[in-house]
Amino acid sequence: MTTRETVDAVVKVLGPYIGDTMARSATEAHCQKLGIAGGASVSPEQIESLLGKLGGGLNIFLGREKSASAITEVRQAITAREAAR
Amino acid sequence: MSGALRVPWAVVGLAVALYVGWAIAPGSALYTDVFNTHRLLALAAVFKLAFLLLGAVWAFGCRDRLEPDNPARPAWFLLSLGLLLTFAGQLCLAPFQLVFGETPFPGPGDIFYVLAYPFLIAALLVFLNAYREAGLPMGSLAERALLVAGVGVVAVVILRPVAATPGPLLDRILTIAYPALDLVLLVPLVLLLRMALRLRGSHAGEVWLLLLSGFVFLCAGDICFAYFQSLGEEHLDPFVHATFILAYALIAGGAHRQLRILKS
Repeated sequence: MTTRETVDAVVKVLGPYIGDTMARSATEAHCQKLGIAGGASVSPEQIESLLGKLGGGLNIFLGREKSASAITEVRQAITAREAAR
Repeated sequence: MSGALRVPWAVVGLAVALYVGWAIAPGSALYTDVFNTHRLLALAAVFKLAFLLLGAVWAFGCRDRLEPDNPARPAWFLLSLGLLLTFAGQLCLAPFQLVFGETPFPGPGDIFYVLAYPFLIAALLVFLNAYREAGLPMGSLAERALLVAGVGVVAVVILRPVAATPGPLLDRILTIAYPALDLVLLVPLVLLLRMALRLRGSHAGEVWLLLLSGFVFLCAGDICFAYFQSLGEEHLDPFVHATFILAYALIAGGAHRQLRILKS
């Protein structure tokens, strides 16, 4: 799965919680910090690191419980996209 | 928005319209026959007390729902304390407004109003820090420096005419203190507004739209109060009542929306 596809999957799920703009800019910023770039493929480990970072940010808006369920949704969306390839 | 939620907002809208109408047409039958100054002051006191108390309780509820290590938890607690102190200030005024139909200035309530500001400012700063630590984009240092300089310019423009007005020292200190504290509040407020724009169209965006517009109206109310007080335009006070009622209702609404997200 490419970085772009990963970002799109994250934005689709997190958009209703924190808005498309924030979801995209936060995900892209975390990707950059984690060294996940452009059209390169993203490893499962990198996806987990990204989800961990995003979960920390979401905690502030949603609380731990809801944040964890949103991150589970993202994980499922990414898995579904990968399966559909 | 569900039907059950529309009713309180309709009440807020009617309350604001009532006080704006009072400022625009004070001689109309509604404000001479049905309501009079005493009743309108008493009603404003009740609205403000209700929204402040609800806001404090709901903000505390948010604090209670968040985990002890959640960086937003102390911010909600500080917001709750700030609203509670403002409530205490309004409670000091209430007997004068309910019984005598007058608002003493300066009065004992001002102690609590002034004390509330450090808590409100700290709440916004803690929110900002929490979002920054979570990796949310907050703008560069240069942008923030530019913002502080902008607020400084606004401060000079706003505070100069108020400061130049003669009057008793305590009155002057307080009429300058409120807008000055509001301008301090404005710095984290503008940074949070920038962040809130990125949240638009989302659940969290609704919370911040309500909270931040409430703070904007709070600043506007204080600045209008300082101007009307120092320029002797007290007949415009109904606008100040409308602004504060709206500010407290919006902040309470934001806290309520956040609590609903945390409870869902």
